[in-house]
Amino acid sequence: MKRHSVLPGFGPTLGYTVFYLSLIVLIPLSALVFKSVGLSWGEFWSTVAAPRVAASYRLTFGAALLAAAINALFGVLTAWVLVRYRFPGKRVIDALVDLPFALPTAVAGITLASVYSGNGWLGRYLEPLGIKVAYTPLGILVAMIFIGLPFVVRTVQPVLEELESELEEAAACLGSNRWQTFRRVLFPTLLPPLLTGFALAFARAVGEYGSIIFIAGNMPMVSEITPLLIITNLEQYDYAGATAIASVMLGVSFILILAVNLLQRWSRRYAE
Amino acid sequence: MSIEIRSVSKQFGSFNALREVSLTVPSGELVALLGPSGSGKTTLLRIIAGLESPDRGSILFNGREATDRHVRERQVGFVFQHYALFRHMTVFENVAFGLRVKPRGSRPSKGEIREKVEGLLKLVQLESLAGRYPAQLSGGQRQRVALARALAVEPQVLLLDEPFGALDAKVRLELRRWLRRLHDEIHVTSVFVTHDQEEALEVADRVVVMNEGRIEQQGTPEEVYDRPSNPFVYNFLGNVNLFHGRVHAGAARIGEISIDLPEYRATENSPAVAYVRPYDIEISRIRQNPEEIEAEVRHIQGAGAVARLELERLDTSEPVEAELTRERHRELGLRQGEKVFIRPRNLRVFVEDYQI
Repeated sequence: MKRHSVLPGFGPTLGYTVFYLSLIVLIPLSALVFKSVGLSWGEFWSTVAAPRVAASYRLTFGAALLAAAINALFGVLTAWVLVRYRFPGKRVIDALVDLPFALPTAVAGITLASVYSGNGWLGRYLEPLGIKVAYTPLGILVAMIFIGLPFVVRTVQPVLEELESELEEAAACLGSNRWQTFRRVLFPTLLPPLLTGFALAFARAVGEYGSIIFIAGNMPMVSEITPLLIITNLEQYDYAGATAIASVMLGVSFILILAVNLLQRWSRRYAE
Repeated sequence: MSIEIRSVSKQFGSFNALREVSLTVPSGELVALLGPSGSGKTTLLRIIAGLESPDRGSILFNGREATDRHVRERQVGFVFQHYALFRHMTVFENVAFGLRVKPRGSRPSKGEIREKVEGLLKLVQLESLAGRYPAQLSGGQRQRVALARALAVEPQVLLLDEPFGALDAKVRLELRRWLRRLHDEIHVTSVFVTHDQEEALEVADRVVVMNEGRIEQQGTPEEVYDRPSNPFVYNFLGNVNLFHGRVHAGAARIGEISIDLPEYRATENSPAVAYVRPYDIEISRIRQNPEEIEAEVRHIQGAGAVARLELERLDTSEPVEAELTRERHRELGLRQGEKVFIRPRNLRVFVEDYQI
């Protein structure tokens, strides 16, 4: 006799999930790969390994990792402040966190570019110090931080809210000081959601196009991101080249996100 | 280490959690703080631990002022109702935590920590589970880990907040006997909070009954159970029957029964309540003396060590609970609906100036 699971509907729900993922994710992505198959290995390699393309990979992935790391740090801090303290305007700040989600990315890019340009609100003070933000790789980083801000805050916040104060009290009774309690008790509990938030912020930063092109300056070899290079190729009707670059980007992103997810699983090995 | 609490008060908003509470816990004793929820027992325990600070009053450890001493420096072991184990650490690491966070100067070496933790796990009978995570343990096992963790730092005082509250009945019973044995072995001054009177009476050397932020009575389990000092304690410790009556010029009149109360000689015709434990009610078929109350048997529950009878007074229709030994029950052979005569053996009368 067939054994029935207590949770009904495994067959239909799994079937639907696979179908849905295929329709939304797998089919478009495989079309992408198939398109680039038109190239021979030599052509493929010379496209993706061209110095200009390689430089864009380094810039995109490097800046995205750095932006995700910065967001991880300040995201935890923001979540901490929002959960732990009461202060006037807390709800407003809580709502502000989500704004980068809602704002059209082009608007964000133009705003950032004008604020950080030589005569902008912030740029005019930074430039005399020798810090140029707009139209440099630093500008790309700023834009990536901006659009990735909500992820870590929103993944860490609920976990922090659910954390029992008894854990900290127990640690204090055992002689642990505040720093030790944070490092040994709180941080390991926050690590899994932090890694999830990091992966999301990273993925978002890698794929970001709209806001970055306005602030980046888009100089080949210096401040040109991979998505822009793909668009450039498309505009020249080089579909195969565009898809080749995109396939590599897809592959690297997938491996990095997979790695973060494995790390995330390892960090909550105790829950199994 | 002895603990002295001197007229401690604590308010949360407009709620008086503790009102001028004073209590002394002698060194090496196991004391139970017993009371209903909201009686202030947990607040008192948290103030002793330093997790909460009193609005007024002071705490002394071994006669030395400790009111402003930080939790970290109080050397108290605290066991929480819901264990508060670190779930990302193994059982071993949980117990080792207090040793690992010691300042470098006083921190034991790795080998010493291992030895100490293994010893403690042996004490709480969990040696084989050292590598497990808390999520893989049962409730009773988790609470024993929490206890071992608290004992690892060699606390001067062990404080337990409803330690068995989240466990099922059988494990509770086992664990509280085990706690008593453990205390007899290590003799650390311990205070535990409970709302379960049976638990307090069975485990503690001394029971402190609390209500509405005050201590109602304290004493050995026998003292508080046999000689409750007021109606609250009577009600809270075990089943009890209430008989309403009046006190006048040094005598109480409850139904047909009259009792001499010389201490109330000056009282004039005021309402009174008499308390009788169910096992202090005598039952007979025929009237043996005029001071008996007529009642009808409503329900008999004969299973167990004692037979429980639900009776109803014929004069006031008030319910009365009685407990008979098996022998007496068999001898009487009562049936439901029968008329009987009851007589309280041990009656405590309180004149009703006291509101419950």
